[in-house]
This record gives sequence, C-alpha cells and structure tokens, in this order.
Amino acid sequence: MKFALPIFDVSSLNLEINSQKILDSLSLKIFAGEYDAIIGPNGGGKTTLIRLLLGLEQPSSGTIKIFGKSISDFKEWHKIGYVPQRASHVDAAFPATVLDVVKMGRTAKRGFFARYSAQDALCVEDAMRKMDVLDIKDKMIGTLSGGQRQRVMIARALASKPEVIILDEPNTGVDVASQQRFYELLRKLNRDEKLTIIFITHDIGVIADDIKRLFTVNRKLLTCNNPKEAISCEDMSRLYGVDAHLLSNHHHHH
Amino acid sequence: MFEYDFMQRAFLAGFIIATLASISGSFVVLKRYSMMTETLAHSALVGVAVGLFAGLSPLWMAVVMAIFSAWLIEYLRSTFHLYSDAILAIFLSGALALAIIIVSLGGAFNNSLFSYLFGSILAVNDEDLLTMGVFGGISLILLLGFSKELFFIAYDEEVAQTSGIKVKMLNYLLVTIVAVIIALSIRVVGTLLIGALMVIPSIAALQYRLGFIKTVLLSLLFALSSVAAGMTLSYYYSLPSGATIVMCVIALFITSLVVNKR
Repeated sequence: MKFALPIFDVSSLNLEINSQKILDSLSLKIFAGEYDAIIGPNGGGKTTLIRLLLGLEQPSSGTIKIFGKSISDFKEWHKIGYVPQRASHVDAAFPATVLDVVKMGRTAKRGFFARYSAQDALCVEDAMRKMDVLDIKDKMIGTLSGGQRQRVMIARALASKPEVIILDEPNTGVDVASQQRFYELLRKLNRDEKLTIIFITHDIGVIADDIKRLFTVNRKLLTCNNPKEAISCEDMSRLYGVDAHLLSNHHHHH
Repeated sequence: MFEYDFMQRAFLAGFIIATLASISGSFVVLKRYSMMTETLAHSALVGVAVGLFAGLSPLWMAVVMAIFSAWLIEYLRSTFHLYSDAILAIFLSGALALAIIIVSLGGAFNNSLFSYLFGSILAVNDEDLLTMGVFGGISLILLLGFSKELFFIAYDEEVAQTSGIKVKMLNYLLVTIVAVIIALSIRVVGTLLIGALMVIPSIAALQYRLGFIKTVLLSLLFALSSVAAGMTLSYYYSLPSGATIVMCVIALFITSLVVNKR
C-alpha cells in the first residue's frame, strides 16, 4: 500500500556554499497525508531545503528520493505542487488573467501545439472552485489583493492534481483575516482531498494545534512528531534560536 | 507606390519582420530580456562583417553569429549566475568592437556595412524574401507551438521547472529563435533599430492591461501598422525607412501610455 512509501525520503543531506555549511546532515521522511510545518530563523536553510526537495538546487552530498525514486530519475513532477514565497509579489503589468495563471498548472501535461482538453478545463475549474477564485477568473492577476493572489497560486498548483503541495511562507503580505481563511482552506484540502501539505511559516502560533509535524531547520533539522504537546516543541524552537511568537508578528520581505 | 516591384517586396519583407519581431518580442519583454535583442543585433553585425570580409553570405553569417552569441549568453547567465544585464552589456560593446575591427581590416566595404546598420528595405531581393519566409515560418511555428510553455516560464521560471516543463531547453529555443529573427531583420530595419521593433510594440500593448493572447495580437497590430505607416512616409518624404518605422512605433507607444494613464 501507498502509505508505506514516503513521498519524500531524504537522508544525510549536506549543502555547502563557499565552504559554509548551509544544511548539515539532514534526514527526514514525509508520508502521504501529512500536514507539516517548517520553521526556523531566516538564513537557517528552510527555503533551501524546499528548493532541494524540488530539484531547484543540488545538494553537496546526500540523497533525495521522491515517491521511491531518486530525484534525478523522478519524472512525475505534476504530482508535486509548489507555491513560492514571492507568489504574492507579481509584476502588476503581467498580461495574465486568473484563468490564464491557473491553466499554467495543466501546461506541463500538454505538449507541442497541444490544446487544453476538456479534462484540463474541468481540473482548472475544480481548482478555482476549491480555492474560491472562480468568480474572479477574468480579473488580471496584477489587480488582485495579496490574499486573492495567494489562493490563485494554490489553485494553479491544484490544477495539476498533485498529491503533495509545498508552500514557502504562503502568508507573506496577506492580511490576518485572509490568513485564517487560508489555513482553513489548507486544512480542508488535507482532510477532504487527502492532499499532503508542507509549508514554511512564521506563524507557528496560528497553526500549532493543527499541524501533524513540526520541522525546525537551522542548519540542522529537529523533528517534532507531536506538536499538540507543544511545550517541548516551543522549547526546542527556542533552543534553536527561534522565538516563534516574536517571528509571527515580524514578517520579513525578500 | 505599389506599382514598383521593390516597394511590393519591401512591404512584404516589412510585414514578415513585423510579425516575427512582435510575437517573439512579447516573450522577450515578459522574460525581461529586452536588452538581449540589442546585444544579438550587434552580434549579428559581427557576422555581417565576417561575411563581407570573407566573401560569404552576410545574412547567413549574421544568423550563425547571432545564434552563437545567444547560446553563449544563455550559458553564462544560467551557469555562472552573473548579472544578466552585465553579460549583455559586455557582449553588446564587445561585439560592436569586433565588428569595427573586422570592418577596418576589410576597408573597402564601409558603404555596404552602412546598409546593415540602418537597414535598407528597398534593396530586399527575392532571395532575401525566400530566406525570411522559410526561416520566419519555422520560427513562428516553434514559437506558437510552445507558447503555453514559454508564457509559463516568463511568468515564473522556477515554478514552471518544478511542474516538469523543460525550462532550460525552451530558454535556449527562445533565444535561438530570437537570434534568427534578429539576423533576418537587420536587412530591413538595421542592427541599431531592430531592438525597437521587437520590444516597443509589446511594451505599448502591455499598457492596455489585457490577457496574454490579446496583448500579443495588439502588439502584432502595432508592429504591422508601424511598418506600413513608416514605409509609406519614407516613400513619400524620402526618409530612411528603418528609422521612420521606429519613430512610428514610438508614437504608438507614447499614445498607449497617455491613453492608459491612470
């Protein structure tokens, strides 16, 4: 059965840049259905870890397996949705409607000159409905609010029918009301669609009792398997030089 | 003016180039590669100089040199993480310097080179038209065939890559197509002016804040009407055709800016 095979299986991952250790012998496994948060100080390597998982950067040593395959042999990238940090800072003049952007989620499945199929249209509409952006589908992406744009980016990721979604600080530049709605949507996707969700966040206070596991990345990795008994995790994060509550009120823009 | 064969050829050549330049230009602008067009045009000029010097076809040598530079620039950009605008600046002045040296070694063909700098659309012959038609057609088919992918890459290169699109291959393909189009265009608008015909129609069209397909169509319309207006004006007022075309594009750009001012 599928649950036996981790989606991500990372072992002894090292990354050195200019002889500085960015990540130091990280190992982790993420299984289907998880709802995990990654926290850590800025410059601690949490975005880098995600970029390694997505094949956007190469490790100095160590192995990454995705759905049991070595990352270099892995081809089914449509199973993995990615919502980058800068998603909410799109060039205001970019000539794309919400529908155009969500359709991008189906692009990799089409080939040279192939048109979008009826099934593509269904997946796109389904994704837009789930993220509640169907009624703004003809609006230009540059005119949306931060919260709307964030949901469009997730709709695009959902359009490829992924099994896991990775989000990098999804709430940068999004107001508090939208944030709560946003976490409800994520939780719903995880619960109802069995979608595995991994996200980097500063808002540990908001999601502490919701998440399945908490990863703290600060060059090394500490895994907290039961964040509901959060006291030890809070201690752990403080041990790592992260004051999660302080960070939640203090967004960093890049 | 259409009673003259050379004017018919000139309009046909102008429309082919306007179509190619504006459609490829839309992707170039969205990828923030605008300066790439100037740089490749200068590299193409090196090809022209080599062609004139060695007695080879200047057009073909321009195509070869432009593609070679496009690949080298893309390689440097993706491999060494240098500032891409700095790479372009180095290539732009380097290529011009090289072209000038080759020209001065050759000595005798300065006049001929002049027509490549500023374009001489009235001198377009049937063979040029055939070359433009064939290579322009292939470029256009590739561009349209991969337009969804190129659009995604322009929007977000990394997300496109993680979704399984062959970003690296398509980036090379785009710069190759752009290099070919530029090399084909220098006969018509000239090395120093082709960048304008590629970039400005699409910047002007972007001002209207439309979806992608409408933006590309609008930029095509701008490019075609600038070529038509520019060549007509140059015919009746004896103005240089390439420069007049560019001034028409700029007039459309300014109009678009003013109309959409908010």
